[in-house]
Amino acid sequence: MKKKLLATLMTAVMAATALAGCGGSSGSAGNSTTAAPAAAPADNAGGGSEAAAPAEGGKDYKIAVVVKGNTNGWFIRMNEGIEKWAGETGINAWMTGPTDTDSAQQIQIIQDIINQDIDALCVVPVDPAACEPVLQEAKDKGIVVICHEGSNVENCDYDIEAFNNAGYGAFIMDNLAELMGKKGTYTTMVGFLTTASHNEWADGAVAQQEAQYPDMTLLADLPRVESENNTETAYEKAKEVLKKYPELTGFTGSCSDDTPGIARAINELGLADKVHVVGTGMPNECRELLKNGSLTCITLWDPADAGYAMCELARKCLDGEEIGNGTDLGLPAYDSLQVDESNERLLMGNGFISVTADNVDDYDF
Amino acid sequence: MSENIIKITGVKKYFGGVKALDGVDLVIKKGEVHCLAGENGCGKSTIINVISGFYTPDAGTIEIDGKEYSKLTTQMAIDAGVQVIYQDLSVFPNLTVRENLALNMEVASGKKFVSKKRFQEIALEAISKINFKADLDEMVENLTVADKQLIAISRALLNNAKLIIMDEPTTAITQKEVKNLFRVIRDLQKQGIAILFVSHKLDEVFEIAEHFTIFRSGKNVFSGRTEELDEQKFTYYMTGREIQEEAFRYEKRPDAKTVLEVRDLSLANGFADCSFSLKEGEILGITGLLGSGRTELAETIFGYHKADSGEILIHGKKVEIGSVKDGIANGIGYVPPERNVQGLFMEQSIADNISITRWKDHADRLGFVNEKSIEDSVAHWVKELSIKINDPQDNMKTLSGGNAQKCVLAKWLSLDLKVLILNGPTVGVDIGAKYDIYKLTKKLAENGLAVIIISDDIREVLSNCNRVLVMRQGRLAEERMTSELDEASLSALSVE
Amino acid sequence: MNFKRLTKKTEFYIAVIILAFCLLVQVRSGQFFTGNNIVDLLRSMTIPMMFCVGEMMVLISGGVDCSFPAIASLSMYFVCTKMDGMFDNPLPYFLVAMLLGLCMGAVNGFIVAKFKFPAMIVTLGTSSLFLGIMQGILGSSEYPLTSGLYSLGSTKLLTAVNAKSGLTSDLPVHFAFMIILVILAWLLMNKTMLGRAIYAVGGDEVAAARAGFHVFGTRMFIFCLSGALAGFIGVCRSSMLLTVSPNNMIGMEMDVIAACVLGGVSLIGGRGGIVGAVLGTALMTIVSNSLILLGVSTQWSRVFTGLIIIVGTAVSAIQEQQRKKKLFVTISDKAEVKG
Repeated sequence: MKKKLLATLMTAVMAATALAGCGGSSGSAGNSTTAAPAAAPADNAGGGSEAAAPAEGGKDYKIAVVVKGNTNGWFIRMNEGIEKWAGETGINAWMTGPTDTDSAQQIQIIQDIINQDIDALCVVPVDPAACEPVLQEAKDKGIVVICHEGSNVENCDYDIEAFNNAGYGAFIMDNLAELMGKKGTYTTMVGFLTTASHNEWADGAVAQQEAQYPDMTLLADLPRVESENNTETAYEKAKEVLKKYPELTGFTGSCSDDTPGIARAINELGLADKVHVVGTGMPNECRELLKNGSLTCITLWDPADAGYAMCELARKCLDGEEIGNGTDLGLPAYDSLQVDESNERLLMGNGFISVTADNVDDYDF
Repeated sequence: MSENIIKITGVKKYFGGVKALDGVDLVIKKGEVHCLAGENGCGKSTIINVISGFYTPDAGTIEIDGKEYSKLTTQMAIDAGVQVIYQDLSVFPNLTVRENLALNMEVASGKKFVSKKRFQEIALEAISKINFKADLDEMVENLTVADKQLIAISRALLNNAKLIIMDEPTTAITQKEVKNLFRVIRDLQKQGIAILFVSHKLDEVFEIAEHFTIFRSGKNVFSGRTEELDEQKFTYYMTGREIQEEAFRYEKRPDAKTVLEVRDLSLANGFADCSFSLKEGEILGITGLLGSGRTELAETIFGYHKADSGEILIHGKKVEIGSVKDGIANGIGYVPPERNVQGLFMEQSIADNISITRWKDHADRLGFVNEKSIEDSVAHWVKELSIKINDPQDNMKTLSGGNAQKCVLAKWLSLDLKVLILNGPTVGVDIGAKYDIYKLTKKLAENGLAVIIISDDIREVLSNCNRVLVMRQGRLAEERMTSELDEASLSALSVE
Repeated sequence: MNFKRLTKKTEFYIAVIILAFCLLVQVRSGQFFTGNNIVDLLRSMTIPMMFCVGEMMVLISGGVDCSFPAIASLSMYFVCTKMDGMFDNPLPYFLVAMLLGLCMGAVNGFIVAKFKFPAMIVTLGTSSLFLGIMQGILGSSEYPLTSGLYSLGSTKLLTAVNAKSGLTSDLPVHFAFMIILVILAWLLMNKTMLGRAIYAVGGDEVAAARAGFHVFGTRMFIFCLSGALAGFIGVCRSSMLLTVSPNNMIGMEMDVIAACVLGGVSLIGGRGGIVGAVLGTALMTIVSNSLILLGVSTQWSRVFTGLIIIVGTAVSAIQEQQRKKKLFVTISDKAEVKG
């Protein structure tokens, strides 16, 4: 029996390796599609913000943005920001990426692109560590490298994040406190206890509550619940928590699956007016819930702004402008960048937004 | 109507370049018990598959009950009354006795739904044919091999069988059960059913068969009545060589030390108060019916079970044997009856199987296994035991029963054993390889190893052991020197 | 069936463990045996139970299907996005999804039955392939649920209200589908010759062929059925979620296989049954949905779930071991040594 088990395990491991191998090697630049480079209108007749005015002398830069997967709604939205920036500045900037979120394919695409005489490369890496060698190569060629969602990447000029994690958590808490009337008991939900960003957001929310909302209390018996990144689990757990702790009136959600799941649970238990949830959510997934009132608001950051900010940051680097605390990238969400204390390459905006039933139709991702 | 139930003429069957059957004839009369004998690879299973319609022969004719079939299918063979009871019995261990008896009939009649009532009727009819008493609700996996066999036979009879082919039916059952099987066969014979009995257990086939056909390397070498054969001729036809069997003669040396001593050993539901001793160079036989506790006793000495009370002494020193590891550490080797289950890793290479008990010795200081050292050791044993192999890296399952058994022996002999226990050492082993194993065992004993042979093959015990213990109902009932016994008297002692 | 034979069955012990666990939760929280909690649990069981029924049949036939979450996701995603708004009646969505699932199952079945490749490797491979099609070719992402399925998803069989806390829980109509499926599966496995064929093929493939069973056909059937069921369940899941969440089911295979094994379904094939599979799923679902009620902190919940699985599996493993090592020698009373 032991032997059989071992053999089964072995085959499983072998199969997994083989499959991983397949996935890696089948990726090629062939299935990447390149968004059409934006045309460069020569005139700059108003509309564009001042900060984003074309560089003096109208330098003709080429900026490529490689995202995780270019069919994904999130990045389609990001492309809108990139196109907006290209339109405003007249600089050639375009987005590309693998059709499927696949690290190996993404690296292949980056490899192809840095051989195409570009000035700046913006990357949203699938696997930050795996990208390091190819980004090193890009830097060696004198290309400016800007990352997004890759705060630990070494081989980049800057990594720009929409916000600092504690700040985003505080933003979620402010919204929740508003709904709860700044009093009552709440708890936090994360995808996994091991997901760093989720837990930093939840910690930030708790810190904000402790500082600002003395009448609110964190549920002591169960301060953190796991949704395992699954809406259904989030729903089941939320129900169980509400059964066990009837005093609870608020939830924060971190993973985009948490928020809609909790909202459905609250609704079904007949607690819609008594219990509230605020947290990360995707407009498409939550549209129905926002419109029927199960959810009041979801929080997120706008990928269009991130795309715009990356390109603008790249331009500033190319133009040799000073980058540091307070740098303005011409968007409200990124009008005063903050440099991380422990990592001077890491820049953070305050790019979180809240989406309600009123503006959810502006977002299609 | 023909007097022959089956007549096969000049049948050839090739697999690639291998001539499995090279023009063989086989004629079985109605109501006859016919024995088909031959060593492994002689074409026995191929001819069974030809008769059952599973293989289409490349040449030759098949006539069943006077009707010639140009292209025999399995269904045609069944319709003509041919039933095969395979060596593996083809029963479903995970289903009940009732289902096992009734399923084939129900499938054949194209039934779509299960009816417990119909199943019950068919099952009762089936067991009534041979007067077999069974709990129809029991899972077949909980039955003995003999009972499974009776299920297979009763199932075969349901289809109006005229010829029943039994492939090695006696390899895994005890003498008493063989007697019962023979009673069933004679009953069937009275009903006019012919039996093709495939076996190489000499005493049995001589007892039951009226007619013999012997194959060697895909050719007929003998066909005739049982009276025309004797043991010597039989062995010669089977192997193509003259084999002289010599009884084991134990030369008692005055300085021979007692290696193993067992005192009042008991195990609940196993055996009780067993005491015996064993000297260097002895071959001790332990015989008894299945369920007499002989296997349990051997397994306990080896450490597979932990005895409830009693002592085991090795070279006069009391040892604690609570696990197989203890058994091996104390120099006890055990060759189990089910080689493929307990003795060998069938999917691993021959080399790995032989070297497995000593991997530690083949490893270097860092714990890496030294391939060269293994190769040398394997080559040594392959030569020493004349194991027939192509490549030591081949899978164990490519070997015949005899060669596999030699590998089990090699595995143990590469350790420095004090006591070697062989349980059913020649079950499913060819006659040729069987004599090799006997010769080897005797040689080991002459070199001073203490050997225990556990067997219900009376002939095997008599010709290989100097002393025999008979077990009955979990107790040691008799202790005799083999020189005082003959087949009849020993057989009588074990059933008494 | 007498009591002694009953105690030899794995199902019996799993039932005992379930009962003991429920009582423990009741004692600790006072809320286990309340209408809304029971309804919540039944709802949570619905989807895993349906998957478990399919997997059980594959396991009994001697195979294993690791691709059903992928089949379910792909068929569900296809019908929900490509047929969005085409019908008000939910039925066509189910039928097309089942057809798609059947085709994907047929791919598995053909490779496994024809070339005799290990089912685990084949289905792991096709699983990756099907997910690849969904993510790559169909470009899967969250998608709103089509109205026909949305209204089905909002249909409830009953609503349970907790008199004390006032909490309400709905039992979706899918629960009824699950019950029907379990009954059909029981009938198939126990009352048809096809069911016997599945057991026979899983017990001993060669013997099954000799008995006249169509081994290739049986294996094909099993994988096709598993695929079609997966398609059906996929649509059920999205209509229960009220949204099209393509990645929601990924990774369920291990829990489902674990639930089957827990209920005494053998990984080698031939052994087990619907009752065991149902109990196994029930135990898994109840445990994972009662830890908060029990007051187990999130940090320790995995340890707890793991222990329950090990204890549950140990029951059948120990039984098997005892059966194998059991001795049956009847020892005579008197000692009789003659020399």
